[in-house]
Amino acid sequence: MYLSKRKISTAFVKRAAIVSTVFLVIIFFFIFAAFWSIQIFYNEKYTQLAIRNITRYIELPAPRGMIVDRFGRVLAENKINFTLFLVRENVENLEKAIEKASNFSGKSVVAVRQIIDKYKKHSGFYRIPIKSNLPLETVIFIQSRQDEFPEFEIGMEPSRTYPLAHRAAHVLGHISEITEAELNADKSGIYGFGDLVGRSGIENQGETFLQGVKGSQTVIKNNVERIQRISSEVKPEIGETVVLTLDLRLQEFIENLLGNESGAVGVLDLKTGGVLALVSKPDFNPEIFSREMGREEWQAISNDPQKPLQNKFLQGIYSPGSVFKIIMALAGLQEGIISPNSSVFCTGSQVFYDRVFHCWNPGGHGAVNIFAALQNSCNIYFYNLGKKMDIDTIASYARLMGLGKESGIDLPNEKAGLVPGSAWKMNTFQQRWFPGETISVSIGHGSLNVTPAQMLKLIATVALRGRMPKLHLLQRIEKQGKVVREFAAGFSRVPIDEKNFELIIEGLFRVVNNEGTGRAAKIDGLDICGKTGTSQIIAKENPRYKKLTQEKKFMPHSWFVSFAPMVNPRLAMVVLVEHGGDAGAIAAPLAAQIYKKYFENEGLL
Amino acid sequence: MKDYFKYFDKFTFVLLLLLAVISIFLIYSAGYSSHETHYLKQAVWLLVSLLVFFIVFALKIDFIFRNAFAVYLALIVILVLQIVLGGTVARTKSWFRLWGIGFQFSEFVKIPLALYLAKILTQFEVIDWKAFVKLMVVIVAPVALIILQPDMGVSFILCSFVPLVILLKKIKPAVLVISLLLVVFSGIIGWYSVLRPYQRDRIISFLNPSEYKTSTGYHIIQSKIAIGSGGLGGKGYLKGSQSQYRFLPARHTDFIISTIGEEFGFINTSLLFFVFFIFFYRQFKFNFKNDEEFYFIYLFNGLILFQFIINVTMAIGFFPVLGISLPFVSYGGSSLLSLFIGEAIVFRIKINTYLT
Repeated sequence: MYLSKRKISTAFVKRAAIVSTVFLVIIFFFIFAAFWSIQIFYNEKYTQLAIRNITRYIELPAPRGMIVDRFGRVLAENKINFTLFLVRENVENLEKAIEKASNFSGKSVVAVRQIIDKYKKHSGFYRIPIKSNLPLETVIFIQSRQDEFPEFEIGMEPSRTYPLAHRAAHVLGHISEITEAELNADKSGIYGFGDLVGRSGIENQGETFLQGVKGSQTVIKNNVERIQRISSEVKPEIGETVVLTLDLRLQEFIENLLGNESGAVGVLDLKTGGVLALVSKPDFNPEIFSREMGREEWQAISNDPQKPLQNKFLQGIYSPGSVFKIIMALAGLQEGIISPNSSVFCTGSQVFYDRVFHCWNPGGHGAVNIFAALQNSCNIYFYNLGKKMDIDTIASYARLMGLGKESGIDLPNEKAGLVPGSAWKMNTFQQRWFPGETISVSIGHGSLNVTPAQMLKLIATVALRGRMPKLHLLQRIEKQGKVVREFAAGFSRVPIDEKNFELIIEGLFRVVNNEGTGRAAKIDGLDICGKTGTSQIIAKENPRYKKLTQEKKFMPHSWFVSFAPMVNPRLAMVVLVEHGGDAGAIAAPLAAQIYKKYFENEGLL
Repeated sequence: MKDYFKYFDKFTFVLLLLLAVISIFLIYSAGYSSHETHYLKQAVWLLVSLLVFFIVFALKIDFIFRNAFAVYLALIVILVLQIVLGGTVARTKSWFRLWGIGFQFSEFVKIPLALYLAKILTQFEVIDWKAFVKLMVVIVAPVALIILQPDMGVSFILCSFVPLVILLKKIKPAVLVISLLLVVFSGIIGWYSVLRPYQRDRIISFLNPSEYKTSTGYHIIQSKIAIGSGGLGGKGYLKGSQSQYRFLPARHTDFIISTIGEEFGFINTSLLFFVFFIFFYRQFKFNFKNDEEFYFIYLFNGLILFQFIINVTMAIGFFPVLGISLPFVSYGGSSLLSLFIGEAIVFRIKINTYLT
């Protein structure tokens, strides 16, 4: 027998049994109490923690509202943008994953590695965006083989698209991601990280209508942040549709008409003050801001000397040239300094304050009254008028007609231009106003600065005999096909006698229809009234004027402001061609073609 | 044969089976969301364990004790070979592959060790220096080898033989004092020289899990959330979010109690504890013929009790996370088999007094 006989006393065995039982009872009671505490007493706390573990709140971006023209033709809408994400935690072999990502995205292996390196400090579960705007074939390929590519995820989000590309780009403007600084400054709490906001044009002006209402999702996720299912969802609400006063057909016609010229055209419906066409050239495709833009692409577009991103209609600052003669004539008539009967004799030049001032026609126009002066744009007539007037009186009339301040069109970032006066001169240069300067201003030169928008408003006010329209692009807001807001036409009265406007209009009619400077704009069957303007880049007195103006960039800007018909006018228009040269030869014929197109479209010609 | 069945402790055996069957259902739940098939392996292991249980049960007690030391030495040799030859599964050398089946030999050490310790205890009246050294050498040799593998959990559990031995036998006061000092001293030495930084972190983190939220404290936090959120009745089988969405780590092994707590709630968890309680209570009540039998039953069941206490208190943040599984319930074939072998001896001892 290997085992020893029993020697342990019964008492010891009993004691051992008692001790072990007491120990068991104590231990099990302790465990029982501890589990009671956690599972019953602190149940609420741990339940909350468990819920927090598995739920994630996801904001669903709202698709932006559409932008359409007056006939409902779509200018801006949304498409689904697919983005390729890489999740490092699910990567087995990083080199192979980078290679695959490079194949899917079309980016180089080096570029993909750079992207991944940027997110080094993020957690392994972070979705690293490799490429947005993934082509549909690639999306289908990856999604149908998701098991083979566990490290890749495809994200879907609405993205902005402009189906007509460059069309009306400056009206539409562009959107881009909200910056951190803006997010911090935003008190409304509407915006979140990664949201897109309108930066310019209607996208910016109509932001409150277009942004829509965000939705949200509560999802159940696992420990590696993978979404298991959606537990509740509030669908996002698409933004409202912004209906513009724009007529896309006309817009298209004008954009094609201008071709490679740089400049601006605005066409106004005089019945409502709604803008029918607003063109600024050269233009851009607003969609480039919705996708990743390379450094070169951005520099090319932002350093282009023709400034494609600038809306020349309301941000371009030019000297008005002879267009300003309309204001001079109005001021002269209203102040009683001139009348239809008074006239001036033009010999081609005249001395004012010991300096020779020239007419554009060196041969002179002979005796000119107000009609002839406008018709032939006679400088001498307006020099004499300016000499009889105070600069501040001229300035007050310019302001009455809308110069020196924003036109008030419903687009952001408009420029005010400049109407010089004696107080301005003193404040800016600490000098008094010299009477010689008034002579320059009276033919629209000197320090005067205007935008095409102001010129359109000016000629519209003339056409309406002193009723000044409020320029606008927003016609109405629609929500699910129902009109929720309408923007009424607005007019205000300019305190200048209507009969004086009639006299000016007679002059402007002759400009086009009586062999005047705007004769190139004449169309049979339509009474167009207009005024040319040539805004010099370099002074005609410059001895090298002839030689320099061979170069395009020194050629003067061409203006043509006009309206039609003469009686019960329907349309007002401004055409500005940058460095176009002679206004009568360049800007006026463009206007004629636009009138022809519009009135033919309307069946009126 | 008839007597064997008559005196066999059928009630306790049913409790044992109950735990082992519950285990399979829990392992199924723990691996449900990730489509693991651990539960099938565990079921196979259970069948093997039952077979081996009855083979061992049929052996004579004298034969078992007689060969214990040889088995003990054989296991020591295997452990040494494993360390020398290597073979790594999950960063440790404790696994050994045989015919495609993973064996964790360290799990089996507790059986011959308990048998041999029981034998040594009968050789002395009181634990004097000589006895103390002998006992310590026998315990420390496999513990040291298993630490080298490294498998903290198993080696720590084997250390619980030290207090058990002291509790079971009279000990000279001087030896007790010195041995306590020795424990403290070796604890300090072990802390700084044997333990690796990640192991140390694991031990400290239970004191303040939120400070180690993303690393070692994560286990404790997620385990407490799982248990706490189970509430009174639990979230339902296969419906525990902590288990099914994989926030709970080692949910089929060391933290299986957290899966129970979450999916079955306080009532059912308490019932499971009650099963354990009855099991231990019954295993500590027995009759015996030889002193070795008495010592073995206390040593072996005491070890399982320690393992149970540590595993459960670890899950609620009262004990460091040492990688100690829940006996009979956690996934692990070697562990299950070794427990069934040991219990077979216990069951056999319990009927021996009735057999002539």
